[in-house]
Amino acid sequence: MTDTTTSTDPNEPVTMMEYFMSLAYSDIVSAPVMRFRDALMDGRLIAQQCPKCKLVYVPPKGYCPIDTIELDERNEIQLADAGTVTNYTVVTPVQYYGQKETEPFVRASILLDPPGGMLILQDILDTPIDEVRPGMRVKAVWAKKGKRNVDEIGNRSGSALEGSLLGFKPTGEPDTPAESFSDKVW
Amino acid sequence: MAAVKPLKDIAIIGYAQARNERQAQATEVQFLFPVINEALEMSKIPRRELGFTCAGSCDYLSGQTFAFVMNLEAVGAWPPISESHVEMDGAWALYEAWVRLQHEDIETALVFGSGKSSPGKPAEIYPLQMDPYTLTPLGIDPVSMAAIQARALLDAGKVTERQMAEIAARSRRDAMKNPHAQVTGEFDVDELLAQPYVNAPLRTHDLPPISDGATAVILATAEKARQVCERPAWIRGLDHRIEAHQPGMRDLTVSTSTKLAGQAAGVGDAPIEVAELSATFSHQEPVLKEALGLGDDVAINPSGGPLAGNPVMAVGLARIAEAAKQIVEGGHTRTVGHATSGMCLQQNLVCVLEGD
Amino acid sequence: MASSHEPCAIVGFGQTKHKKRRDDLSLPGLVREAAQRALDDADMTWSDIEAVVIGKAPDPFEGVMMPELSLADALGAAGKPMMRVHTAGSVGGSTSIVASSLIMARRHKRVLTVAYEKQSEGNAQWGLAGGRSGGMGAGGIFAPWMKSYIRGSGAPEHIGWKVAVKDRLNATKNPYAHLQLPDITIEKVKESPMLWDPIHFLESCPSSDGAAAMVLTDEEGGRAASRPPAWVLGTAMRSELGSFPGRDTVRPQAGVECSKMLYQEVGITNPRAQIDVAELYVPFSWYEPMWLEGHDIAGPGEGWKMVDSGETEIDGAFPVNPSGGVLSSNPIGASGMLRFGEAAQQVRGLAGEHQVPGAKVALAQAYGGAAQYFAMWVVSSELQPNLS
Repeated sequence: MTDTTTSTDPNEPVTMMEYFMSLAYSDIVSAPVMRFRDALMDGRLIAQQCPKCKLVYVPPKGYCPIDTIELDERNEIQLADAGTVTNYTVVTPVQYYGQKETEPFVRASILLDPPGGMLILQDILDTPIDEVRPGMRVKAVWAKKGKRNVDEIGNRSGSALEGSLLGFKPTGEPDTPAESFSDKVW
Repeated sequence: MAAVKPLKDIAIIGYAQARNERQAQATEVQFLFPVINEALEMSKIPRRELGFTCAGSCDYLSGQTFAFVMNLEAVGAWPPISESHVEMDGAWALYEAWVRLQHEDIETALVFGSGKSSPGKPAEIYPLQMDPYTLTPLGIDPVSMAAIQARALLDAGKVTERQMAEIAARSRRDAMKNPHAQVTGEFDVDELLAQPYVNAPLRTHDLPPISDGATAVILATAEKARQVCERPAWIRGLDHRIEAHQPGMRDLTVSTSTKLAGQAAGVGDAPIEVAELSATFSHQEPVLKEALGLGDDVAINPSGGPLAGNPVMAVGLARIAEAAKQIVEGGHTRTVGHATSGMCLQQNLVCVLEGD
Repeated sequence: MASSHEPCAIVGFGQTKHKKRRDDLSLPGLVREAAQRALDDADMTWSDIEAVVIGKAPDPFEGVMMPELSLADALGAAGKPMMRVHTAGSVGGSTSIVASSLIMARRHKRVLTVAYEKQSEGNAQWGLAGGRSGGMGAGGIFAPWMKSYIRGSGAPEHIGWKVAVKDRLNATKNPYAHLQLPDITIEKVKESPMLWDPIHFLESCPSSDGAAAMVLTDEEGGRAASRPPAWVLGTAMRSELGSFPGRDTVRPQAGVECSKMLYQEVGITNPRAQIDVAELYVPFSWYEPMWLEGHDIAGPGEGWKMVDSGETEIDGAFPVNPSGGVLSSNPIGASGMLRFGEAAQQVRGLAGEHQVPGAKVALAQAYGGAAQYFAMWVVSSELQPNLS
C-alpha cells in the first residue's frame, strides 16, 4: 500500500512503520466449481437450477440456499452468453496494495437470456462509460481458445471470470424495457 | 461470583457433526449443509420455526474476510431470520443462544460452529492470535506454546511423558467407535514413546490432527423439548471465563479460568459420569481434570476428543454435542462438555448436562 | 416484550476522539480510552464489571486474529466471561444487543461492552478485495442499489448532497467526530470527485480509528445510577442471504422485518411520530432516505421528501444522526455501537451540543454485509414511557 501521510524527511521522527504480512492459503476447488471451470475452458457458461424454486445459480454452488437442498450435476443447465444490463456502477479505483486498475471502470449486472441466470460485477468492453445503461443488450466476449485459462477461478472467485470470459460488449439491439427485468435486479 | 441459576430450563434436543477430514473437497458451506439438516431432523423442529440462529467461525482460518457471511447460505436465511455470529468456537454461539432463549419469547435455536483449517498453515496463522506488539513478531506458534506448557507440567511432576502417551493411545482407541473421528487405531505406548520429539517434550501423538469439520446443535425451552424429544439433555449449568493473555502472567500448570467456569456451572454439585474435554494436546487433559475436580472414575473423551479430530471453531461445540449424546443415547445422567480458546487454555467454557 | 425479562439500562457511555490515525494509542489503549470513559460516566471501576462483550469487523482489517484474547488484559477481563461478536458492519449494534441480553436474562448485573476499529493499522480496501485487483470497495457494492433507489423513487440528485452536508454540520457539534468540515456546502459535495456513481467523495464515510463503550445494568442499577439511565425498550436482529435472483436490495426484507418486530415489541405504531430522534447507519448519503423507507418511518418514495423538507435536520421533526453519523466517523466495528450509544445519550439528555431538546424515545440501527445484517434497538428516558 502507498502511504501518503508518513513523512519521508530524514529529519522527521519515524512514527509509523509498515510491514507486509503474507499468509498462503491453498484451497481445493469444490466439485461444482470444477465443472464450471471445465465449461469455461470450453467457452460455455453452466449453472445449477433448483428444482423447487427454479432459481438459477451461476457459478453453481452445490446447493440452493433458499430451499436448503443440495444440488449436483443432475441440476446443471447450460446458459446463454448474451443478456441485458440490469444495473451498473462506475468505480474509481482506490490504490490499495495489489490494485492494478488506475482509471474508472464499469461493473455491471447482467441478466442472461433464457433460461436465465445473473452474472454480477462484469466488465463492459469497448464502450464509453457514459453509454452504459440498464436495458442495454450485451454479448459475452470470450478469450480465444488456446489463450483461455481458469487459473483465477476457484471457490471464492464468485462471478469474476477473468482469463476465460473477458467481459461483455453491446450488440446494438434495441434496449430491453425496464419492466421486464425490474424484479430481477440486484 | 456465585453460580447464577438460569431463568429457564433449556435442553439440547438435536445434534450432528461432519466427519473430520484432513482436507475436505467440499467448501465450508457445502459440508455444513448436511450437518445442519441432520441436527434439525433429529430435533423434529421445522427449519422455519427456529426462533434464533447463532454461529461460530473464524475469518483467518479460511483466509477470507466475512467468511461467515457465506455460511448463512447453509442455514436457509430466507425469509430473513433472527441471527447472530461470534468469532469464537461454536460453544460460545451456544452460550449466546442459551442466554437469549431465557429472556426472549422464542422456543428453539440452532447453533453451529464450522472451520476449514486445511487451506492455511497453522504455524503461520496462529501467531496472529497473540498480542500483536510483543508476541506476534516472535512468531509464537501453538505447538511451541503447548510444548512450554507441557515442560512446565513435567517439571512440576504433574504429568509424565508416559501418561501423555497413554492419554493419546486411549483417545485414538476410543475414537475407533466414533464415525466422525479422523485419527483412530490401536497404538502401543512404548512404541509411541520411542518416536522422536516434534517440539520437545511433545511427540506427534501429543498433538491434535489438522481437521476440517462442523458441528450443529438444536436447543429448546422445556415445554418445547418435552413435546418433541423423548430424552432431552438439560443444560444445568453453563459458564465461561477468560484469563490473562500474556503467558508470563499465568501459571501454565493450572487452568484458573476452567476452575472458575466449572464452579459457576456447578460441576461439583453432583457426580459426573462422562466429560468431553477440549484437551487439544495430551498434557492438557490432566490440567482440565484437576480444574474441574474430576476423579479417575469419570470417563474422559469417549469420543476420542480433539486428539482424534480437531475442527477448530467446531471442536468445542462438538464436545458439548458428545456430552449430550452420552445422555440422549448413552443413558448417562450427568455429563460435562468443555470448550477452549486461545493458546494454553486461555479461555474456557464449561457446560453441565443432565438427563431426567 | 411478551416474556418477563429483567429491564436493561445504559448507565455509561464513552467514545474515543475518532481520527484518521490514532497513532498515540495502541489497540489496547484505544479500547481502554472508550471503556474508561464509559466506566467514569457510570461511576464505576473495572472491578464492578462482571462480564465483557467485545465486537469488531473482520480481523484481517488490523491483522490480529481473535483480538479479544490479547485485549482481555487491557479490559480487565481476566477471571470474567468475555465474548466476541462479529456480524459484519452491524457488529457494533449486535454487540450492544448481546450485552443487553446478558442483563435481560439476569446472567449479570453489570456488563461492559466495547467495539472498535483501528483502520490505520491495516487496509480495509485491500481486505475487502481479498488482496485481488479490481476491488469494488463497500461503496461499489452499494452504488448500483442507490441508483435503483433513485430510479424507483424519482428522488432528485441533490438529496444525497443534502444528507452529506447535514451530517457534517451536525458533526461540528460533536467534539468526538472525525471529520470537522464547518465550511461544507451542497456545491462542494457536488463538485467533489465521483467515487462510485452516484456517490461523490463527500457523500462517503471516512476511514477512522476509534472505539465506543457502554456500561449496561439491571433495573436496580438503572434506578440507582448517579446520572440519568437510558432504558432498552426493545432489541431486534435480522439477517438474510446476501445475493440471490430477485432479492430486493433497495429495501431489504431483513431490514423491514427487523424494524417491524422491534416496533411491535416496543408498542410503536407510528414511528415517525413516536420516535424523537434516530441514529441510523448511513455510510453513504443515499442510505438516509433508503433506511427511512426501509424501516417504515417514511412510506415508499417518501424518504427523500423527509430529507428535502429538512425534517431530518437536528431541529427538524424527525432528526437523523445529530451526532454526525457514520458519514463523519467510521471506525467500522464501533460505528454501530456509536449509533446505539448516541441514541442512549440523547434520551439521557447527555448528548451535549448535538442534543435534540426533550428527546425521550430514540431509535438506533446498524446494518452490514451486503445490506443483509440488521441490528436495532429503541431506548427511552423512561422504563414505561407514554408512546402516544
